[in-house]
Amino acid sequence: MSPEENRQPLQSSLRVQELLYGLRISEVMTNKVFAVSKNCTMRDVRVIMRNNEISGVPVVDSKRVVGIVTMNDLMNALEEGRLDDCVVSWMSGEVQTLAEDMPLSFAISAFGKFSFRQFPVVNKANELTGILTFRNINHALIRELSRQLREMEQQNENPPEPDSLQFTKVYQLARYDFENGGKASSAIKKFLKLRRVPPKLVRRVAVAGYELEINLVAHSIGGMLSFDINDERVKISSHDRGPGIENVDDALTEGFSTANEWIRSQGFGAGMGLPNVKRVSDEFAIESAVGMGTMVQAVIYLTQEKDDENK
Amino acid sequence: MELLRIAHALDAELICGPDDWESMQIETVFASDLMSDVLMSEREQMLLITSLSTEQSIRSAGIVGSEAVVIANHKTVTEGMIELAKEQDMTLLVTRHPKYEASVCIGRIMEPQ
Repeated sequence: MSPEENRQPLQSSLRVQELLYGLRISEVMTNKVFAVSKNCTMRDVRVIMRNNEISGVPVVDSKRVVGIVTMNDLMNALEEGRLDDCVVSWMSGEVQTLAEDMPLSFAISAFGKFSFRQFPVVNKANELTGILTFRNINHALIRELSRQLREMEQQNENPPEPDSLQFTKVYQLARYDFENGGKASSAIKKFLKLRRVPPKLVRRVAVAGYELEINLVAHSIGGMLSFDINDERVKISSHDRGPGIENVDDALTEGFSTANEWIRSQGFGAGMGLPNVKRVSDEFAIESAVGMGTMVQAVIYLTQEKDDENK
Repeated sequence: MELLRIAHALDAELICGPDDWESMQIETVFASDLMSDVLMSEREQMLLITSLSTEQSIRSAGIVGSEAVVIANHKTVTEGMIELAKEQDMTLLVTRHPKYEASVCIGRIMEPQ
């Protein structure tokens, strides 16, 4: 773990995290893609790169990505004076693509995992629809954060009441750190209890948060858990950097578990975690991609149940 | 039922608890070493019996609002566990009985007179 990750994150990182969840790759990528077909030459690629100031050109075969030619490949060809070769002989054939409906957070994981400077983006039919670079991500984040700042400035700044439920907090969780797994949920439980939220609701929030914490500690390589609370609801978001879930339906099946003996010896890993989160939540969403991470969002309403319990 | 009666029945040793722990009312008992199962519990005024003597047992019990935890098999209780229990005003007891026998003991005294 890097020193930055050890440090307690600022509340504002919740904003960024929300953005990374909320934005889809398709909203951030460059739509105008310069691609070449399999029978183009390296010379064609050089022209495209030079004229458009880009550093990677996907190679497509009837819209499907079959390779990518990077600046490196071009320089290698140039060095050997073989610019008239077909791109196929110089391109990298193993291309990592991203799906356009993935959340932006997955793309960031991919940039961290691979050393590529750009990723071709494909649609459900596996056709090339865009290209994603770090520059795209930076631009999108700056754009969205400025928009949010403007919104915040426009809002009247009412000081929060002491017993107000408005609260946001982000917790970092490290792999196998069972010692700290659960602290966040205990703190949130205390917060809600002090503000006289009905005990049954407090328990539901605590259970969902705790199961997600244990999941982060036991199954992920590390991640974040955030709580976003207002008078209406508690929104719990869990976001990890990997390894991702192969089959989400399996993970939601009671009793299905990939836990190892050690996790079981801690009293967990019975395959009830995610189903239990779903059970106690009013809204539940999960998204996962192997190698990129998993995000779970659980919402528990605070208003409706109050009436129910008064009946 | 008062927690003190249960403590007597189990010949249990008090590790920590709030001042009024003896008169604490226990309505249901849950015996498990599987915290995943504990977290599915919807019971009120619950006592957890477990032989999993870890901080996570105390945490899991706290998350579902359990009032008291009995550690079975006379397992060693760590400082961390005591601290966690105190933080949550939870009563922590230790018994030499294994989980099953402890459950039977409580079952006997809980039967209608």
